[in-house]
Amino acid sequence: MIGAVLLATAIALAPPDESAAVFANRTAFAEECTGTVNTFPDRLARQARTALAALGWEVGGAVGPAFTRRSLLAGASSAALYVHSHGDLYWDTKANSGVGGFRADAGLCLGAPILLPSEIAVTRRSAPPASLVYISSCHNGERASRLPAAFGIPQRKVQGSNQPRAFYVGYVGSAWQGAALRFERAFWRGLLDGATAGAAFDRALLVSYELEHLTPEWWGGYDHTPYPPTAGAPDFGGRRYV
Amino acid sequence: MYKSRWSLSLLIGIIAACSAPGTAIAPSTPALAASAGLNVRPIMSIAAALIAPTELSGLIAQPFSLVRSESGEQRIRQILTSADGGEIMRVESALDGSLRFVAKASVALDGGRLSESAASAHALRHLSRLGLSAPIGGPAVSGAAGRTLVAWSRQVGGVPVLNDGTRVVLNAAGALVGLAIEESPLAAPPSRIARSEAALVAAAALLPSGALLREGPDLAWVLPTDVPAGPFDERTPRSLAWCVTGVLRDGAAFAMQLDAGSLALLGWDVAP
Repeated sequence: MIGAVLLATAIALAPPDESAAVFANRTAFAEECTGTVNTFPDRLARQARTALAALGWEVGGAVGPAFTRRSLLAGASSAALYVHSHGDLYWDTKANSGVGGFRADAGLCLGAPILLPSEIAVTRRSAPPASLVYISSCHNGERASRLPAAFGIPQRKVQGSNQPRAFYVGYVGSAWQGAALRFERAFWRGLLDGATAGAAFDRALLVSYELEHLTPEWWGGYDHTPYPPTAGAPDFGGRRYV
Repeated sequence: MYKSRWSLSLLIGIIAACSAPGTAIAPSTPALAASAGLNVRPIMSIAAALIAPTELSGLIAQPFSLVRSESGEQRIRQILTSADGGEIMRVESALDGSLRFVAKASVALDGGRLSESAASAHALRHLSRLGLSAPIGGPAVSGAAGRTLVAWSRQVGGVPVLNDGTRVVLNAAGALVGLAIEESPLAAPPSRIARSEAALVAAAALLPSGALLREGPDLAWVLPTDVPAGPFDERTPRSLAWCVTGVLRDGAAFAMQLDAGSLALLGWDVAP
């Protein structure tokens, strides 16, 4: 309860175009639900949170039971968003098709609420396109997923002129947590080295994750650098070569 | 050995800290590396094999640095930038000078798709152009985000070392996006390897309620992915393990790794 209040306060205090949110489903993968210890959600969320903070974002969000439908919809208007959870081409009765989406944590092993793209799109109705959206789940990198559109990011890859100032990452098919951890670590490191989002993605394709376990996909502007608008180029402690 | 490695690291660090950026005209990195007793191939010579001569002029070789790779190996990193500071290419070499990693930035996103045979041929040509020998066996070819990935897995004694090997990433026209060569250290194998039947029984006993085994057990060298004691460091030598896969009661796929000798649980992975 206190966590949810703090989260809402943090989101309310930071202007949406300066705020980032990191959400991770811990419960569905926890020992009481699966029978074995699983530290991946916390590690994935920690990587994302650390990187986004270093890039200059005000980072909110929730890991574990505080990641509810309500907290996610409150954080979905952030300009940068990271989510790790179960994902699928969940059925949207209004669209009469599988449209993508992911589950909240909500403290439930099974049957946690599903967040559909249409709900997120409603929340973000007046918001500009998100700068960076990373959906670390199964299936939300597929063409059929409408999550990119919900965040205002067209499903196309643009290099050169007229690039969208937005970048979306998702995975096609099943995405294993072990492979995702390695790929995402390399992606965040790329951004922290000053690479553009597209270059960081390309570099992450080279790290040693099992190819059968992960098929990453992106949409947006290759040369987009996902920094908050007023932060300028962040100080990377000499790691950036500009 | 430990002491000498530290001395070498210190020497490299001091040189890297003191060196000024080199340019295409007067690269400083190789000379400094040579004075440190390292056989580092200068990034400009690697770039010359991959970038048109007209595009090479004005590029600047940044001072090299000592880094640790994702797999924990100590490496020498060189970066080539444009005059305005934008990164053009980065290269990493092992301390013995062997090339381990090349990544080019902003490689064109051409449309279309390479056939498997064309992708393999392009990958082999890039390796050859960089003086790297062709990996043994046939590669696995896959696609991701408009890029084509050509990967040769590493095997030791017929057993795969998961995540190790040679990976070449190409654009749709066959141009090199990057390459990576990984050779992780291996732990000593157990004196006695448990039989596969025993591994299957042990895995079944560890299964969470409602979960089903689907494939395995298969032997592989692995970095345990997740364990009750906490995550392993990337520098941890790979262990020989029996690996099984299956599905949890909610339908999510899982993989389990058991020590090949003791059949103790080594690691666990899930596809959410």
